[in-house]
Amino acid sequence: MAAVKPPLARSLLRLFTVQGSWNYERMLGIGFGVAEEPLLRGLSPEANGEAYRAAVARGAHFFNAHPYLCGLAVGAAARAEHDGAPPEQVERLRTALSGPLGSLGDRLVWAGWLPFNSGLALAGIALGLGWSAIIGFLVLYNVGHVTLRWWALRAGWNYGLRVADALRQPFLRRAGALLAPAMAVVTGAALPLAVGYLGDPFPSWARVLFVGAAGIGALLLLWRRLGLTGLRLGLGFAAIGLVLAVAWR
Amino acid sequence: MTLEQVGILLAWGTLVGLDLVTMPQAMIARPLVAGAVAGALLGDLETGLRLGVIFELFQYDILPMGAVRYPEYGPATVAAVGAAHTAAGALGIGLGVVVGLVTGLLGGISIHLMRRLNARAVRRSAPALERGDVGVLVRLHVMSILRDAARAAVVTWAGLVLAVGGHDLLIGALAVRGALVVAVVVTGAAVAAGTVGTLRLVGRGPDLRWFAAGLLGGAAGVWLR
Repeated sequence: MAAVKPPLARSLLRLFTVQGSWNYERMLGIGFGVAEEPLLRGLSPEANGEAYRAAVARGAHFFNAHPYLCGLAVGAAARAEHDGAPPEQVERLRTALSGPLGSLGDRLVWAGWLPFNSGLALAGIALGLGWSAIIGFLVLYNVGHVTLRWWALRAGWNYGLRVADALRQPFLRRAGALLAPAMAVVTGAALPLAVGYLGDPFPSWARVLFVGAAGIGALLLLWRRLGLTGLRLGLGFAAIGLVLAVAWR
Repeated sequence: MTLEQVGILLAWGTLVGLDLVTMPQAMIARPLVAGAVAGALLGDLETGLRLGVIFELFQYDILPMGAVRYPEYGPATVAAVGAAHTAAGALGIGLGVVVGLVTGLLGGISIHLMRRLNARAVRRSAPALERGDVGVLVRLHVMSILRDAARAAVVTWAGLVLAVGGHDLLIGALAVRGALVVAVVVTGAAVAAGTVGTLRLVGRGPDLRWFAAGLLGGAAGVWLR
């Protein structure tokens, strides 16, 4: 790996807080602007020059994407500013990247890498690994997490306005194709192991009730017309359980 | 719980709440991690792991895609472990899950309110932001992060208050059998949420076969144990 350029490292550090000021007005915009700012410092020879301030203002406009891939847009927009792209083109670039980065990140991370690692950790705890499962989860997940953030920022900076080429890299497609079945296998295996682990301390009559509650709960959640969520189901079952418990004194 | 334990859980819950959205999203906010560490801090790792698994399954019901609103299970798991630590056995687990679910609901509401406050602050600073004022931009960002830290602390504190209140209310009111019923049905709800959430994630495409293969493997693992 090439030596880290100081502005890129600073920008990467700020990207870890990119959602810190998430709001319904500009979504990730403020965090985007904060992360992009170190990369814009060389824009004008004099400190706080006109071009620099205009670029900082553009950086804080509305933006939304997956937080881990946000660096791709940050790097690309900053590079476009350095390359002298017209302001409208920089704005168009940000708008064009928002949707694809959101859906790619959701697919790769929220629906792939995260549940894959969580499933491994669940299985590990159910199999008695304890702390090792937790530490393994944090280490493995974050190796992927930090690598993705770093790749995104560097790729954005290197490709600039041609950033679409970075998104066409074969490893992204391969990662998506591999992660989906891997996540399915791991979470599939983790579920019965977790059920076994959670049901283990219950006496046999309670295990029957446990399986029954899980089955009825799953059917209720699958019946979409009820509009139930896991939280509402849990609260509803807790209320029923408390009523039963008080009645059964 | 001693005052010292409450303080330690409050600090941990605040870090966990910050990690969920604001920084650094290293997944210490996942219930598995939040619960295990909370359990270890109280010298009760097993309860922490058990509640971590339960809330991790509830978490599977959530996909944080786009700007969706969702419950916050990180500080909720910390409060749940605090609650479970105040009562032994099944009552502890049942009480913990109830406290955690209510805290998760409060956490979700608090995130929504905080985002509205952030939006108001952005509106107020809009002229300075349009001038490219870096000082205002950075201050706005830092203040939002501090706002989230305060929010996470308040949510964790509310959860711990619920834990103590729930303990006072339920201890003595429930028989062991009744406490077991509560623990069993809420654990069942977690398994249901985890299963349906995973099925939603896997979808009806070719990955469903991989999921079925995993399910068979996991079931064989349970049987072999």
